[in-house]
Amino acid sequence: MHKVLRILVPLAAAAAPLALAAGPATADSGSSYQATLNPLNHQSGSGMLMLTLNGNTAKVTESWSGLAGQFNGAPFPHVQHIHIGGQGVCPTASADKNGDGVVSTTEGAPAYGPIGTTLSVTGDTSPAAGTDIKIAPSGTSTHYSRTITLDPKVVQSLKNDTAVVVVHGDDPTTLSKKAQGEKSDLVPSLPLAATSPALCGALHAMPAGGVSTGTGSTAGMEDSGLLLLAGGLLVAGTGTALFTVRRRSVKA
Amino acid sequence: MPTPGWSPGRKVALVLALVAVAAAAVLGIVVVRAQVSAPEPTSAGRIDPLPSSSPSLPVGTGSAGADAGDAGPAAPAPLGPSRPTTISIPAIGVSTTVNPIGLAADGSLAVPQPGPHLNEAAWFTNSPSPGQPGPAIIEGHVDTDTGPSVFFRLGDIHPGDRVIVHRADGHVLTFHVDAVRDFLKATFPTRLVYGGRDLSEPSLRLITCSDFDASIHHHIGNEVVFAHLVHTADAS
Ligand SMILES: [Cu+2]
Repeated sequence: MHKVLRILVPLAAAAAPLALAAGPATADSGSSYQATLNPLNHQSGSGMLMLTLNGNTAKVTESWSGLAGQFNGAPFPHVQHIHIGGQGVCPTASADKNGDGVVSTTEGAPAYGPIGTTLSVTGDTSPAAGTDIKIAPSGTSTHYSRTITLDPKVVQSLKNDTAVVVVHGDDPTTLSKKAQGEKSDLVPSLPLAATSPALCGALHAMPAGGVSTGTGSTAGMEDSGLLLLAGGLLVAGTGTALFTVRRRSVKA
Repeated sequence: MPTPGWSPGRKVALVLALVAVAAAAVLGIVVVRAQVSAPEPTSAGRIDPLPSSSPSLPVGTGSAGADAGDAGPAAPAPLGPSRPTTISIPAIGVSTTVNPIGLAADGSLAVPQPGPHLNEAAWFTNSPSPGQPGPAIIEGHVDTDTGPSVFFRLGDIHPGDRVIVHRADGHVLTFHVDAVRDFLKATFPTRLVYGGRDLSEPSLRLITCSDFDASIHHHIGNEVVFAHLVHTADAS
């Protein structure tokens, strides 16, 4: 009988439901947003930004590369913002109203709206710091990580799906002759290229929860029934055997 | 009345043996049938956890050193935006069209609907294009009402396998599979899958369903394949 049990035990173990591999112990807390930063105004960079919101506190991580690296012999400052209150989209080339081949910050405003938050590397994050090149990331690439407090209007804009990330500062050599001679619409002491949008990405909530990529048509509903049958046979059989053993011991 | 010549002990053994044979036969059927069910993913490979995530994710087999060796000396420079058009995974016989897809009304990732594209892959348009910095998201059904679907065999993918993506601009990208994970939908790690620790690296996530729960007739898990870009070429 012990021999038989030695066969049965592994069979019973095989009939147990297959355990799910352990996932992370905790679900994400807070709401998460993402923006893919695409180039405009003939620039060639790309980037991505992720924002996690808990109340008014936002943890922002961002990476971009491929932008203009030098400006007057120094690292090119790229002021960057979360724009709010516009249409929540990035402008197309048709937003270039004066025909100089560049969508200036002002020309793009109907699409993405005014500055709501300045994504500075240190200090002030309000719109007032919007053109402060001393606290802007600089150079061809950036890995940005900062936890900041958002204005309630910016929080609302995130929830309304109308927040847009804009990184400014174009490589002047990629612009038209006309545009190269123009002054910035934001800071007249700077050239147009210095403040015009280079990367833009609408912020959207990350997908909620898991993904419904199956109907279960192949996933073994019948197999589960068979496993139950096997388990039932084992229970019934073992019960019968034990009953027989018990009767024997009563007789003895 | 005991049968002559059969002791009670032998009777017990006989019953148990018959039961064992019957159970084994049923299990045998299950094993044969399992070959037409989608393979369930086993956790494998390494993922860099998010800085804030605690406790850290389970670390499977495979090592960063081996992955780095396979990846070659220098990672390709990121590309600009251009939507993916096809994806192929030679190791599991996948080769399919990729269509754009967005969010569903409930805020979840939409999935291919009944029609000509039901059994093709889909690229999430809010995620980067494959080749851009960050994780491009490509999903596919494991099965549909008509049977196995495009990512039916995704559970058989392994670290080191190659994934090839063609883009509309003619670029052909090769990704290297780093890790495979099976997550419960109820605790899906959104930021890890759609973001991750390193947003600068062009990477790829493949998503399908896993872990069918017969009691509710639903898949309760998602398999996620984590891969990173190792090579870019022009189609010409
Ligand atoms: Cu701005």
